[in-house]
Order: sequence, then structure tokens, then C-alpha cells
Amino acid sequence: MIKDIFLMGLAAMKSYKIRTFLTLIGVIIGVASVIMVTTAGGSVSSFIAGQWNIFNPTGMIIGTGTGGATPQLSVRSAVFTTNDVEKIQNLPYIKTVAPLGIVPLTKILKRDGFLKWESRPGQTMYASTPALLEILNLKLETGTMFVEGKNEVVISKNVAETFGKDKPLLVGDTIYVRRVDGMTVEAKVVGILQESAAFSMFNTLSTPGIICPTKPYYSSYFGSNVGTIFKRVVAYTVLLAEATDTKHVQDAQNEILQYLDKGGSDASQYKDQNSDFVVITQQYILVRVEQVMSVIRTYITAIALISLLIGAIGIANIMFATVTERTREIGTMMAVGAKRRDILQLFLYQSTIIGLLGGLIGCILGAAGSWFVVDLLNKNIQNLGGAFSTGTIQLAYAPEWFIIASVVGILIGVLAGVLPARKAAKMDPVVALRYE
Amino acid sequence: MSEYAIEIDSLTKIYKTGKTEFKALQNVSLKIRKGDFVAIMGPSGSGKSTLMNIIGCLDRPTSGTVIVDGENISIVSENQLAEIRGRKIGFIFQTFNLIPTLNALKNVALPMVFLGGSKTTRDRHAAELLEKVGLTNWATHRPAELSGGEQQRVAIARALSNNPAIILADEPTGNLDTKTGEQIMEILVALNKEGKTILLVTHALALKRFANRVISMLDGEVKEDT
Repeated sequence: MIKDIFLMGLAAMKSYKIRTFLTLIGVIIGVASVIMVTTAGGSVSSFIAGQWNIFNPTGMIIGTGTGGATPQLSVRSAVFTTNDVEKIQNLPYIKTVAPLGIVPLTKILKRDGFLKWESRPGQTMYASTPALLEILNLKLETGTMFVEGKNEVVISKNVAETFGKDKPLLVGDTIYVRRVDGMTVEAKVVGILQESAAFSMFNTLSTPGIICPTKPYYSSYFGSNVGTIFKRVVAYTVLLAEATDTKHVQDAQNEILQYLDKGGSDASQYKDQNSDFVVITQQYILVRVEQVMSVIRTYITAIALISLLIGAIGIANIMFATVTERTREIGTMMAVGAKRRDILQLFLYQSTIIGLLGGLIGCILGAAGSWFVVDLLNKNIQNLGGAFSTGTIQLAYAPEWFIIASVVGILIGVLAGVLPARKAAKMDPVVALRYE
Repeated sequence: MSEYAIEIDSLTKIYKTGKTEFKALQNVSLKIRKGDFVAIMGPSGSGKSTLMNIIGCLDRPTSGTVIVDGENISIVSENQLAEIRGRKIGFIFQTFNLIPTLNALKNVALPMVFLGGSKTTRDRHAAELLEKVGLTNWATHRPAELSGGEQQRVAIARALSNNPAIILADEPTGNLDTKTGEQIMEILVALNKEGKTILLVTHALALKRFANRVISMLDGEVKEDT
């Protein structure tokens, strides 16, 4: 009998094709948008999390800023001396430390024949030590690392092609770099970096364009010196470090902070009284990124769920209209022996079928839609060029959301049908039969 | 077994709308023999529809006893009432009241659906009934594709599908032309000859001649019983 009532519901839906279709669309859009938002959102957030993979998992950045539970780095003052770098290198759990001195450039120049110059807008140059390559996972494609004190630099592939892809800079070429303070320094290219496998939007940091030795490029730069007029010292803004292994990142972080705050570091003398030493680990960065992403994901998922809710209201609305319209039929069915339960079932089945079918089609459309969205985003990323150009968003379906969305779709069908079906079942047959 | 299809004893039905009470039936007592063809007549507001609704188990009495084919409907539950309605009563309405989304065969089989039973049996029985009213070729047609007379014949086949003891026909010819109405009445007469008790509610005096008993109602009371 249940089957017969079910088939009767189906027959009624077939007769009201447009109505059924429109109601279905409401549910389909709701379910599909939940799936698209969660799938595309999940795919994008893992892409963005990937972009924040600046270091190895053991990596960290040491600087000054605001400490506490959510530390913030401010790249303002140079405080870490070479002495600090050596001390930190000798702390337990520390594998490598590399200083980072920022040398902003206005121009990169190249002599093109006698008396003729070619110039390009400048990139930021980073003064460091060979340890930097290890920490940032960079490898030389050709050439060697620079020697401290010599006019030598190592450049990235991008910089090598700055004067044109057809005439790239080669190992042995000489360029001139003009710093923001106006000084132009000769630099011999001694090495070219391999393109990093894990490309990121922060590749200006994780794949520095030009790496140079502290002397002569950084030590003579006005922003690098601290101390008194009697004793000037070169200091770096940030240090990059790596812990011995992932289990000891926290320990390494504690050791560094302990040394900087209470270990008689040079940095503690030069640091601004109002700022703290800050160590931000790669792990912390990822946690923070994930927190931000999850807030965004929750927000857009909530919006998608609202559209599902609107679908539910659509079902309820249509079912109410249908029940009213079919009042006389309901009366007739009661007259030929239908019990209230039968009438209730008849209408509940209809809304459940809509929920079920809508959920199913919504899942399929949502899966296809996510593919399109991710594809579109990827094309846009390619068009953005620059730092993004090598990254692609990997489509990652979230099976749990397929289940959630279809269950919610069915549930919505049932719940949205309950009130109209109850209205139908509670009708007085005498009144229903007389209904015009 | 009682010789009566319907036994009504001091039946009163009061409708309440807000604070106003309306006595639709007042102290009605009557007995209808099995196999009778009874015409219930009277102007609108006379209580004939209320009487029919109560006999048809669509409504309950305010007081008094109503026994339909041996079942005291004053004391049964709502679900039992629906079941009695399905088993013992066959309705024929003025407006035919077929389900527009179901074809003729499914419409005829509908009362059997609510009583259960296998689909094959139901469909076979429904086909037999359609044949009886001469509509075999219309089995797969929807009501909208049928003429008024054909629809009413489908409705008669539906009224017969659970083999009820009593057939309640409420102005069955009201929406039909005279000739088609005559045909419908002839079918009812034939059913009566087969032993069905038929209650015809009408205010068309011309239909009186088909009945062997006429009950005239006025202001909620039986005025005349011949």
C-alpha cells in the first residue's frame, strides 16, 4: 500500500511538471552551492596554505614586533648582529641560522656595449650567508655561492631574464645595482638559482631575486648600522632559522627567545623598548592561515546553507499551494476510505522525492560546478602572472559535504513537507468535499 | 444479520460556529431495508446532505445512534470510520470527483488501494468494473479526456470497487444532460436489482420515479416518508 501511495504521489508530481521542476531547482541550487562552496573553498584554502609554505616545516623567522599569543612581526629596525647569529647557531635544537639584511634597489643596470646602459626597475636584494640557501630549500643551477666581502651576487632565474628571455644573464656577467640611497655597486653574477619546486606567492622572500654578501652591499647601507657613533655595528632586521627536527621546533623557539631576552644578546641592547622579540614558525604560520581560511569557509558555507533553506521554504510554499488546490481530491480520497495517515504519507512522499531528487542532482551539478570554478580560478591565476603563475589549485572533493548536502536535502524535503501534509491530513472530509 | 442496511435512532446533528448553534438534524429516526432504493429529497438547508454525510461515515452524529450495515458508527474511532467508509459505502458525487492525475483504471482501483491487497488483483477487478460500465477502452485515459457521463460511469465503477453494501449518490445527474442522466440512473437501477442498497440524494423530482421509497426532509426533520 505504501508503494501505491508513493506511486500516486509520483503521478501527481508528473502531472504538475513545471511546479515540480521549479521546486526541484530550489533544492538543486541549494545543494549544488553547498557542494561548490565547500569543494572550491577547500581546494582554494589548501592552495593558499601551500602558498604560505615559506620554509621547511622546521623553519622559523626571528624578528621584533609584538609578542604574546598571536605574535606579529614588524620589519622595522635592524637589531640582530653577526655575534647574535653565531650565538644562536650554537644553541641546542638549532640546525642553521641565516641573517637577512634588506637592501632595496631602484635599478639594475647592465652595460650594453661601450658607454651604453640598459636598466631595469630594481628588486629587493637580500644580504645573507650561504646558510640561507639551505633554510629556503634553494639550489644553485649553475655557478657557485658568493664569497663574503667580494662584489659577487647570486640571482634567481627571473632576475637572470630581466633583460629579456633571449639574452639572459649568465654566470660571469657583471651587473650594477643602484641602491635606494643612490649608490651604484658593481656585482658579478657567480651563481643562478634553480627555480624552486614549491613556488609560492611569497617567492620574493622564499626565492629572493638577488642574494648578496653583507660586505660590501649591506654593511655600507645606511639602514644597516646600529650602535653609537663610537662603535657602529652591522645589524640585520630578521634572522631565518631551522630547528633540528619538527619535534623540536618549539624547543628551538624557546631557546632563541631565552637567549635574545635574557642571554645577553646584542639585539636586546638595540631593540626598541616597546617591542618584543618574536619567533614565528612555519607551523604557526600554517595554523594561522588555516584559522583565517576556516573563518572564510564557515562564512561562505553559511551563505550556501541559507540558499538551501530558501529551497526548503520553496518546497513548503509549493506543498501548501498544492494541498489547498487539491483539497477536493483529498476529500474524495477520504470518502473512498483513505485514512489520515494515508493522506499524510501521500504529501510527505512528494516533498521527500523532491528533496531526494534535488539532493542527488544538486550533488552532481555541484561536483561539475566545482570543477568549473576551480578551472576558472586556475585560468585566472595563470593570467595574474608573477608569483602565482606556477601554482595551480588542486580540485579536492570533500565527500563528507556530499553526504551532508544530500542528507540535508532529504531532510529539508521531509521537514518542509510535514506542515502542508499535516494540513492535508487534518482536513474534515465533509468540508474538503464541498471545497470549490 | 439485520434486515436493515441503515438504522438511525433519534439522530441529532448540531453545527457550532463560534457561539451560534445550528441544528442540521433534529431527532431523526429511520430504518432503511437492504436492497431498497431510497430517494432523499428536500430543499437546500433541509438537512439531507448532513444526513447523507453521517450515513456515509464522513461525519459523526452529535447524539443518537447510527448503525451502518451492522456497524455502530457513533462509537468507532476515526481510523475505523475511514475503514467502514471504504468497505461499506460507495460514493457517487454530483461533480464526479475523480482524481485528475490518475487514469480511469487507477481511479476505479483507488478505494482498493487504501484497503491493501495486491496490485494485480486490484487492477483486474478495476478492469472488470470498467467493463461493467462500458468503459473498457477508456481505462488508460485521464478524467479530463472523458465526457461528463463517462466520468460519472468511472465514478460508479469506483463506488463499486470495494463491493459496498450501500451506494450513496449525491445529485449524480446534477451536472449531466437529461439523456446522460437517464443512462446513469439506469445503471443505478441495475445495481439496485443486483441487491445494492441505494440512497439517492436529490431535489430533482423527476428522479423520484426510480426509487421505491421517498424520504422528504425539511428543517432537519423527516417530513414525509413514503
